[in-house]
Amino acid sequence: MSTSTGSPLSTLREMGARRIGLYLVLLAGIVFYLIPVETAVATMFKTQQAFTATAPYVPALGEGFSVSSAIRAWETLRPGLVDSMLMAIPATILSALFGSLAAYGLTTIDWRGQVAVVVLIIAGIFIPYQAVLVPLTTFWFQIWPGLVTGFVNTVFGFVTGGNWAYPRSGNVQLIQLTITHAAYGIPICTLLFRSYYQAISDEMIEAARLDGATAFSIYKNIIFPLSLPMFAVTLIYQFTQVYNDLLFALVLLNDPNTQVATQRLVRLTGGVQQDFTLTMAGAVIAALPTLLVYIFFGEQFAKGVAE
Amino acid sequence: MAQLTLDDITKIFYDDDEGEIRAVDSVSVDIEDGEFLCVVGPSGCGKSTTLRMIAGLEDVTSGEIRLGDRVINDQPPAQRDVAMVFQSYALYPHMTIRRNMAFGLEQSTDLPKDEIRERVDDAAQLLGIDDLIDRKPGELSGGQQQRVALGRAIVRDPEVFLMDEPLANLDAKLRADMRTELQHLQEDLDVTTVYVTHDQTEAMTMSDRIAILNDGKLQQAATPLECYHEPNNRFVAGFVGEPAMNFFEVTREGETLVAGDFEYPLSASVADTLGAETDLTLGVRPEDVELVAEPGSDHDYDAVVDVVEPRGNENTVHLHFEAGDHESFIATVEGMRTVAAGDAVTVRFPEEAIHVFDGATGEAIRNRDMDTVEQIESAV
Amino acid sequence: MREILTRLRTAGARLRSAARRTAPTDDKVATDGGTAVGERRRTALRDRLPVEWELVESSPFWLPPVVLAGFFVYGAIFWNAIISLTDWEGLSLSGADYSDLDVEMYARLLGDGAFWQATQNTIVLLVVFTLLCLVVGLLAAILIDQQIRFENTFRTIYLLPMSLSFVVTATMWAWMYNARNGVINTFLRLLNLEGLLVTLLKPEAINATVLQWLSWNTTALPAVIFALLWQFSGYAMVVFLAGLRAIPTEHYEAARVDGASTVRMYMRVIVPQLRASAVSASVVLMVFALKAFDFIFALRGDQPGANLDILATMMYREAFTGGNEWAYGSAIAIVLFVLALLIIAPYLYSEYRRGEL
Repeated sequence: MSTSTGSPLSTLREMGARRIGLYLVLLAGIVFYLIPVETAVATMFKTQQAFTATAPYVPALGEGFSVSSAIRAWETLRPGLVDSMLMAIPATILSALFGSLAAYGLTTIDWRGQVAVVVLIIAGIFIPYQAVLVPLTTFWFQIWPGLVTGFVNTVFGFVTGGNWAYPRSGNVQLIQLTITHAAYGIPICTLLFRSYYQAISDEMIEAARLDGATAFSIYKNIIFPLSLPMFAVTLIYQFTQVYNDLLFALVLLNDPNTQVATQRLVRLTGGVQQDFTLTMAGAVIAALPTLLVYIFFGEQFAKGVAE
Repeated sequence: MAQLTLDDITKIFYDDDEGEIRAVDSVSVDIEDGEFLCVVGPSGCGKSTTLRMIAGLEDVTSGEIRLGDRVINDQPPAQRDVAMVFQSYALYPHMTIRRNMAFGLEQSTDLPKDEIRERVDDAAQLLGIDDLIDRKPGELSGGQQQRVALGRAIVRDPEVFLMDEPLANLDAKLRADMRTELQHLQEDLDVTTVYVTHDQTEAMTMSDRIAILNDGKLQQAATPLECYHEPNNRFVAGFVGEPAMNFFEVTREGETLVAGDFEYPLSASVADTLGAETDLTLGVRPEDVELVAEPGSDHDYDAVVDVVEPRGNENTVHLHFEAGDHESFIATVEGMRTVAAGDAVTVRFPEEAIHVFDGATGEAIRNRDMDTVEQIESAV
Repeated sequence: MREILTRLRTAGARLRSAARRTAPTDDKVATDGGTAVGERRRTALRDRLPVEWELVESSPFWLPPVVLAGFFVYGAIFWNAIISLTDWEGLSLSGADYSDLDVEMYARLLGDGAFWQATQNTIVLLVVFTLLCLVVGLLAAILIDQQIRFENTFRTIYLLPMSLSFVVTATMWAWMYNARNGVINTFLRLLNLEGLLVTLLKPEAINATVLQWLSWNTTALPAVIFALLWQFSGYAMVVFLAGLRAIPTEHYEAARVDGASTVRMYMRVIVPQLRASAVSASVVLMVFALKAFDFIFALRGDQPGANLDILATMMYREAFTGGNEWAYGSAIAIVLFVLALLIIAPYLYSEYRRGEL
């Protein structure tokens, strides 16, 4: 590698020792970062007996091996996984699309004062969501249903007779959560796309304008196709963020039948008597979607993170 | 077919820190139909801004841009019937060469698909890139991309070609080749062309006329030889020609120009043309400075060679006067002549070759005699 | 060749007639032609606009997302600030009375011991967590930057915890810290360190023989910080790695030629150049720390106890459980928001000054 070839043998040997030391430290790092996950996986496949008899990070084989906790956790979490997907996938796509459009209008098309809008948008990434929880709850449970009900009964009064009521089912709450996540995802997606669009050549956009392309045509024919790699980054990063969230779901979903995976995992671990084979199974199963996304698209995730 | 007229155009930018910036200041030029005009000047002189105003990529602060009789100031770029070639080529990286060239026609006309195809094929054949037409820009060399950029402009058959340093990204050899080719192409197509460059060699060799800008102001718009032999002012004199003209700050005392290290006596006929100004600048082109064997006239001076830069066919010789070191200057002598650093030589500034400028304003008061130029040129 | 040239050049007129938005070529057409008049009008409209044309042209793209995000972010914060000035509490969601606004809730905060405890915990978490993450992340980045084999694998694994939900990592670390047979205590037992640590760390009033990391007020917050460090140091590493890669190799080589040792080279030459990376990583990490609600809630529910209560959990508890103290919760939320603002405003301002936005 980078060792200079002209060095005396002793230096080489010393360099070799340093190299070995380096790799040992790096491997220790791997142990550090993986052991909680490894322990969780090892624990979820143990019988109660094996659980008490073996060290936590040693996987049980043979008699001590059991999938019963995994199955129980899977059954508890499965509806949550479905709801999480139903919510996170559209929310992510919406955020990415909106973010890309906003970044295009705020970057590629240049106008004075746009930085002020950009600052407001970017600041939106960093706000603690506690600061919006109370209004958010009031909006989705009080204001919005009121507005829609009033609107429907006024405009379609001849059909409803003024008796239509806003559906307060779990599914509607899930849609509301989806819209919420889509909206709060816009700032980070805008930032990701903006830094990407800043790198796109101005001259190319000008060439397209000279070619007679409209703002929309430039987006459709040039910007959008060119930003497909960034869409991959944004979708992956944002999916992880939305799927992993607990707070919004906690305040916006109150139907016990419609709960996302993170909520169900909290309920699973919330019991008085902790059964760690079960909670670890739950943790691993709940982590599986983002874990798989990360394993297959780690590169894009790292890019999203680095911004 | 139309001529392009820039009538007193001005561009002012507003900057938060620096306030008003006059990037282009009252520039007026007529560009004849089919003419090749090079706009040159140092970086920041406003040449690109001028081009971008013609293209419609920048608003015009005041003045009029006309194409034929029609004022195009407020028209969006696509409606002006101009096509632009950019320094970076600005090709669409995700589209094939064919789509790159067809995009403008697709976007701005209702031409049927097969007709677009035909025009693209024609242009590609004309430029010798017909076998590359299904590739993407990333697979092409710089020179090939340059051709595609040209092709993209040609297929639209515009009234005016605008070119912003289109050859600057090519290596020296390719640049020289493309220069010739571009010139032929422009002649064949006979389209009015405005070509921006910072390279005065490019401007001199390619264009029908040169427009020289400095600090947003038009210094001179004339044929390359006029700019070379009859510059309007000191800036043009110094900008055109390589190596640049030698300048000496002088004071006129009677019929003599007095500099730090030498005195330049004027003949009565020349002195008469200079007017009353006494604070002057004397200019002599390096190629007009002669190295003579013996002092033989009033315009001969003893000088010492500082540095010699051999260029093969000629040498660029840096000198200073033996009388002092207030002034140094450059002479171009033929390559076979042997001079070396430290040599004492005699130099002659022939009176017919001198330029005299107003010391304060830089305006040309007297340019070299053109008779001798014609003699020289007919002799060559 | 001639033929092609002619074809290309003679099509001009036809092209112009095929142009969709034909521009007027002479005055007569300009006054009579509908398109030309439309064109004039558009131009006139453009001139009369109080703002730039590009702003108008681009607004269909950025305005809807900005309005949507602006409504949910700034509209909600503003509303939240108003609510914090009311006395709203109780189960009814329509109970806010906006006619009588005062700062009573903020006065109440000042006298609330739980608030000060939560603020203290929040700030300790914020500062210690961020600093540790930077140190660990920087070391990891430097190690990974030594032209090692399998660089991608190392990097991927170090960053992996960041892809996990707070809820998942909290669940896993609850087990890691388990007193009887969690991984941490098992390790310490193998090293014969548990007894020593129990005497060192045990709170005075408690009689214990095993380390109860998450229960003791001496260890609970550090334990949580350690778990968060595990989750987010990979992020700091990625940011530093990008910063290291941006430093020209000449700087390393120049330091080597000058005979600097590796450690000195990093301390004197390389690390000072990572300031920008450190700042941007810090901002993001601090914001993560402010959002650590999910982690603590998953670990301890809405009553994490004084030693783990942070402003985020306190706000949720006050507003959403028990008495539904909406106004009081909102006031805590505003404090949290101001804390976040104190962190990001200088950062965004400096980025703006450097023209990086």
